[in-house]
Amino acid sequence: MLVIVVENAPPRLRGRLAVWLLEVRAGVYVGKYGKKVREMLWRQVQEGIEHGNAVLAWATNTESGFDFETLGQNRRIPADMDGLRLVSFLPDGPKRKEEDAGPNAT
Amino acid sequence: MLPPLKPIPVKDRVSVVFVEKGQLDVLDGAFVVVDKHGVRTHIPVGGVACLMLEIGTRVSHAAVVLAARVGCLLVWVGEGGVRLYSAGQPGGARADRLLYQASLALDDAARLKAVRKMYALRFKEEPPARRSVEQLRGIEGARVRKMYELIARQHRVEWKWRNYDHTEWGSGDVPNRCLSAATACLYGVTEAAILAAGYAPAVGFIHTGKPQSFVYDIADIFKFETVVPVAFRIAATQPQAPERAVRIACRDAFRQTKLLARIIPTIEQVLAAGDLPVPKPPEESVAPAIPNKEQLGDAGHRG
Repeated sequence: MLVIVVENAPPRLRGRLAVWLLEVRAGVYVGKYGKKVREMLWRQVQEGIEHGNAVLAWATNTESGFDFETLGQNRRIPADMDGLRLVSFLPDGPKRKEEDAGPNAT
Repeated sequence: MLPPLKPIPVKDRVSVVFVEKGQLDVLDGAFVVVDKHGVRTHIPVGGVACLMLEIGTRVSHAAVVLAARVGCLLVWVGEGGVRLYSAGQPGGARADRLLYQASLALDDAARLKAVRKMYALRFKEEPPARRSVEQLRGIEGARVRKMYELIARQHRVEWKWRNYDHTEWGSGDVPNRCLSAATACLYGVTEAAILAAGYAPAVGFIHTGKPQSFVYDIADIFKFETVVPVAFRIAATQPQAPERAVRIACRDAFRQTKLLARIIPTIEQVLAAGDLPVPKPPEESVAPAIPNKEQLGDAGHRG
């Protein structure tokens, strides 16, 4: 079982993903494939995502039973808790500004 | 209206999560850790058996209530993850089970049978016949020392003896620190499972006189299969941060041995070996006015 969620993705990528996966909601794709196919699908996302962002989650034999991988900028970032993978949600305020100010300041 | 929160069985959960620093709170009904920069990390407490809170954490009232509702045991730990105090209501609310456990512990013949069962489960062979609990404990101690030496040699770790000063964390050598960190994880999930099954952590059979005597009894059955090899394997690599490496490896060991699915059935097996009937409620006792609702969780969970 695997799920891909894309945000702000170009229509050609969304169409491409729909070749193998079922789009159950806007930008949410579900399917059941092995490792090889999953990597091929993720390569499609990597090549086609442009300025959008994406996450891929799939079933594994880890303790939580799944793993996930992300691509592009998002306020939700992976967090590792001694081997258990969770997600941290960045605040909207100062942290964002710092990031924006970074390139301008230099 | 959303349906009420209910605990799920321990076997369907992730073993332990350590929270190092931050404010534990409830936001929009979800359990979150908020760090000083405002970064929020959701912890799916309903799917965690035991939450270990380290030194830099603060907990709100709402967070404790939520953890209790979903049957997640909160354990406050000190340096190296060694237990200090625990709370929450993951279970332990079944009088019939508490009385059953106590009746076995009070009956010398039943207690010996339960201890012999623990020995058999732990070493995968029947203990020698006609031995007292005291004698079995002696045989067990000698075997355990040998096993420590053997596993240390397998992983090429220099092993002196199991020693630690629990008042001073940094005092132990690396293998002992790894062992303490690993056993702390095992004790956490074992206590959560004992409570969820409706039994008392303090009423032990081999161990007595400690608030977690029964936790040590049950954890010992799994110790040499799970945490001891993990601790020595990590110690052999001379890690920078032994605790973290040990916890990651424990998670794998717990998954591979299906520990969470096995603890409660093992407890039942040990107690059943005592060969005493489960006490029936007295005839004149009054049944609850409001019948208990059907629950999804384990027997001891407060639904």
